[in-house]
Amino acid sequence: MNEPTKRNLKYLGLHAFLLSVALTCLFPLFWMFRCSLMDNQTVFTDKGLIPSVINFGNYADAWTKGGFGVYFFNSILYTVSVVVGIVLVSSLAAFAFSRLKFWGRDAFYYMFVIAMMIPLPGSFVPLFVLMNKLGMANTRIGYILCMINVGLSLSIILLKTFFDKMPSDLEDAARIDGCSKWQIWWNVALPLARPAVAVIVIFNSLNVWNEYILAQLLLSDDKLMPLQRGLMAFAGKHSVDYSLLMAALTISAVPIILLYLAMQKHIIKGLSSGAVVG
Amino acid sequence: MKKFSFVAVVLVLICSGVIVACTGCGGSKEDPNQVTMWHWMTDRDAVLQQLAQQYEQETGVKIKIELFAPSDSYSQRITASSQANTLPDIFGILDKKEIFADFIRYGFVANLTEEFAKDGGAWEKSMFPKALDVNRFKPDNIYGIEPGIYGVPIDVTNIQMLYNKKLLAKAGIKKAPTNFSEFLASIKALKRVGVSGLVSGWGEIWMADAFASNYAFNIMGEEKVMATYKGDVKYTDPDWIKVLNVFKTLSEAGAFMEGIVTKPNKEAEQDFALERAAFAYNGSWCVNVYHDMNPSLEYSAMLPPTINPKRPMKIWGGAGSSFVVKETSTRKDKAIAFLKWLSAEKQQALLAKETRNLPANRKALESIPEVLADFASVMDNTTHPTIWKYNELPAVTEAFDKGIQSIIIGEKTPKQVASEVQAVKERETEKAKRRQ
Repeated sequence: MNEPTKRNLKYLGLHAFLLSVALTCLFPLFWMFRCSLMDNQTVFTDKGLIPSVINFGNYADAWTKGGFGVYFFNSILYTVSVVVGIVLVSSLAAFAFSRLKFWGRDAFYYMFVIAMMIPLPGSFVPLFVLMNKLGMANTRIGYILCMINVGLSLSIILLKTFFDKMPSDLEDAARIDGCSKWQIWWNVALPLARPAVAVIVIFNSLNVWNEYILAQLLLSDDKLMPLQRGLMAFAGKHSVDYSLLMAALTISAVPIILLYLAMQKHIIKGLSSGAVVG
Repeated sequence: MKKFSFVAVVLVLICSGVIVACTGCGGSKEDPNQVTMWHWMTDRDAVLQQLAQQYEQETGVKIKIELFAPSDSYSQRITASSQANTLPDIFGILDKKEIFADFIRYGFVANLTEEFAKDGGAWEKSMFPKALDVNRFKPDNIYGIEPGIYGVPIDVTNIQMLYNKKLLAKAGIKKAPTNFSEFLASIKALKRVGVSGLVSGWGEIWMADAFASNYAFNIMGEEKVMATYKGDVKYTDPDWIKVLNVFKTLSEAGAFMEGIVTKPNKEAEQDFALERAAFAYNGSWCVNVYHDMNPSLEYSAMLPPTINPKRPMKIWGGAGSSFVVKETSTRKDKAIAFLKWLSAEKQQALLAKETRNLPANRKALESIPEVLADFASVMDNTTHPTIWKYNELPAVTEAFDKGIQSIIIGEKTPKQVASEVQAVKERETEKAKRRQ
């Protein structure tokens, strides 16, 4: 077998493998979209890949029946606030853990690492009691603060790994140019960590967008609930309205898919440059 | 450019802060005329909201209905709220009876016995006794709780067999089988026309356990079943072998739909709704499910066919959803009055009609669909582990249920399974004694 044939076969094998992985990832999304166009009976009977009768009305029904208007607004508000909060706090904390020397630095850092080991359900009761004592239960700010707290540990670890690799010459040069510590963080460290920040943004956006359990625990008022609450309208204890649920899931998946596509370049760079190391 | 991005971040922060501050931080003041009820039933939310509005119009008392679904996270919220002392006036306890007992012990749940006894016990008499039993603590109960009724059921449920009228007719079967030999004959007839027999979600192992329990009560009676759980009768007793033989006989007769031991109930429901099997073993909630999947399905409910004609067939059933009243609520009387109203005939009939669940009020039966009436008509035949005097040790139940699966797939014989279960029983009893 000559060299070009060998190379072509290798590429063919590799592409076939990648194609099968891509199909495995995309097929559930396709199936969700397909079912969102059917009615509740044909979901179980129509075996074709393309539905025999297409019904886009499910989207309008899902939007109105699920009360998506207010939930959508809430989810966007929570996602933006939490992600901005996490990026700011974690980048400051990671910068401090990586570049500053202060008493108890390592101990504080390991506290954050340990916090990551506590599963969210394990902290439900203390969180709920704390938020009630602070008068923050059933408030947006209470939920946002809790979610920022949930995302901090991983984000700090990711950013610290990145800042650790930042050459100290850059920091020295900035200092010679008259930059304060705040300015070094903002003008030097943060722009360099853009790929890691992109990873943090997408990870946390996904986390907040899909979160429901903590929201359910802390929030009582329907007007404060996130988008996931709307999905519950279609899933009863025993019966599920599959077509509307799939339409609702498609609606809820679109923003996060768009965000991923918009940040794809940075995420790949962030992952490949070791943003998730450690 | 850098300045611009800094300004953008600050703006986003300010906007978020302003929106957050403006729209979400209002503290809630206690309204003495407002009763708050937390529930977990997505499919019943709309009708409960409708009833709450109606109640406000009739009485002037505002009922705030709040939904927290699914049930797992509802339970977490109830546990957390009890610790933060923020439980609502009306709520449900979805956990086991011992957790229910804990809630009572720590003063979170009101004893409603006096209310049920008022007017010559009119409220109590209007309900299915089996529905109340789940909320009742009998004298000398093992939890040490003051005897009484602590919860109000709003619906009931039971698990029976169902048959597809069209498929039975296709096989020339004129009436649903009432005893085991008739059932086996039906299976033969169905096989002749290429129709699968029985489908159920026995991948969810408790459903197979319920089916076995039905036959244990029919073959040997409640007393002997309880004696087994207590440890006085062995699983190697001929009656228990007979119970396990039910599965062997049905399996050998080809009565089970393929894959029954691994099938989740959702899939089994699809099979029956889409007419892939003639019989199903499922709970009364299926009426709602089948209606969504195939509104034109023609079916009816029946008791599992008996083996011993001298004893009644006992099926699992009891309260479906129940609510309790917070003991320390300042609006306790109003909360009780609302639950009394909600469980009255008219409201129960509306709930049953709109949600296709069995009403807890027996007087509401007249106005419900036929298939629901079929289910409700045998409520007196129901029993449930939560009201039994003794319960089997979890490890023994697990061994028994896995044994059933082994028998169905032909891996083990009933005698082998019985011996293995008995061995587990002896080991676990010994362990329990050592712990004491």
